[in-house]
Amino acid sequence: MIFGYAFFQNALAISLLISVLCPCIGVFLVLRRYAMIGDTLSHASLAGVAAGLLLDISPILGAFAFTAFCGALIEFLRGYFRKYTELILSIVLALGVGVAITIISSGKLHANANSFLFGSVLTVTREDVWTVLGLSLAAVAALIVLYDRLVYIAYDEDAARIAGVRVEAINYAFSVLVAAAIAVSIRIVGVMVIGSMIALPVATAIQLGRGFRLTLLWSVLFSVIDIMAGLFLSYYINVAPGGFTALFSVAALLAVIMGKTIARRLP
Amino acid sequence: MIRAKGIYFSYTGGQPYILEGLEFYADAGQYVSILGENGSGKSTFAKLVLGLLFPSRGAIESDIGRRAYVPQMNEFADSRFPITVREMMNAYRRLIKVRDRSRTEAALEAVGMLSSEDKLVGSLSGGQRQKVFIARAIMGDPGLLVLDEPSAGVDAGSRRDIYAYLRRLNAEKGMTILSVEHNLEAALRNSTAIYHIENGRGHVCTPEAYEKEYLKLDKGDRP
Repeated sequence: MIFGYAFFQNALAISLLISVLCPCIGVFLVLRRYAMIGDTLSHASLAGVAAGLLLDISPILGAFAFTAFCGALIEFLRGYFRKYTELILSIVLALGVGVAITIISSGKLHANANSFLFGSVLTVTREDVWTVLGLSLAAVAALIVLYDRLVYIAYDEDAARIAGVRVEAINYAFSVLVAAAIAVSIRIVGVMVIGSMIALPVATAIQLGRGFRLTLLWSVLFSVIDIMAGLFLSYYINVAPGGFTALFSVAALLAVIMGKTIARRLP
Repeated sequence: MIRAKGIYFSYTGGQPYILEGLEFYADAGQYVSILGENGSGKSTFAKLVLGLLFPSRGAIESDIGRRAYVPQMNEFADSRFPITVREMMNAYRRLIKVRDRSRTEAALEAVGMLSSEDKLVGSLSGGQRQKVFIARAIMGDPGLLVLDEPSAGVDAGSRRDIYAYLRRLNAEKGMTILSVEHNLEAALRNSTAIYHIENGRGHVCTPEAYEKEYLKLDKGDRP
């Protein structure tokens, strides 16, 4: 039985944590029209993975540290290149990918970085589970504390400022939360797919036209379905889980849009 | 009291200035409508008073207490944001540290929107949404209420309700109101003072004096 394998138990535990954390962060990114920031940071995180492997420290922690740095850099550059968000993303992407390719192509890595690109079930260790659990708990606790402030910065930044919210400081803190979501996801879904795992379950939930809390709960539900389906099917078909997870998230979105369209046309 | 002294402001930090040596004074309890041509700097002045923008030179002083803002409806084009009236109100109540939950219901009741508290804000009409934003603003009993074009995109019935409620807030609760207006008739009928901004500067007068001076000049007597 598949559940008897330690590596699968580890993968399952991490997948559950990802499926809760990613949409919780994603809902704020999507509603602030920053979904591409998630994508950029997930690609940049490969540099942190590579640095972690090079320095013989946890690649997840390496990804977390470098992605948090890149998130803070985006916030800093946002003040410098006002209204040119796409340009800022190109700069951060160039930095991340540049560092990653340089380290990986140097031939000095002690391990293979490929599994971090597409995700892998087989390589997840118990140590990874503890690292991911720690990061996830800290991120969820921070989200609970910052919830109202994040909702208002996304919905009405002026009102948030007038209410006394320190928007810039919260934005920096939020960059760290995005980095945490990416770092915990990197093992299972891989660098290439994290961006879509942050955005797509939220995009699907928004189609249901509910309030904020319900949208968040539906996002988590869609995320659990996408990631679990990706995990189990990829194991049986023997492909990387990231690909199937992405395909499932697109399929779920299309199914909800089609369902809505059909329901609207019914008498 | 709100006082603005020698305000210079530009979005680039230098010339050309939108506001150039602007002076303003209003006592607590006044209802001031801010008038002027498009692009004269009315909304910019309102945001300076709220502390959302900072002057390049000069200073704004106020001893009126908590400030609240009702934004221009156009700034809320995103009707797809998934948030209900109750969620929007409660999150704001917690942000301004008002613990009494009944304040949300009381504020919505005051503007006649309690029955809509479970609806999505984006599903409301322009007038209903404006009422909800006013309810949000008054929840914390502000001393100063700043509105940016409160009747823009609002139907005639809601417009009447909104101005009647603003007059009541001003007359009965003594709330100071600063309202950027494009609706001249509403400004003349409701305000205790008019602040006209032109060429980066402004001056305060009574609605009666404004009607006599500016409207006569607009008919072709302007030198």
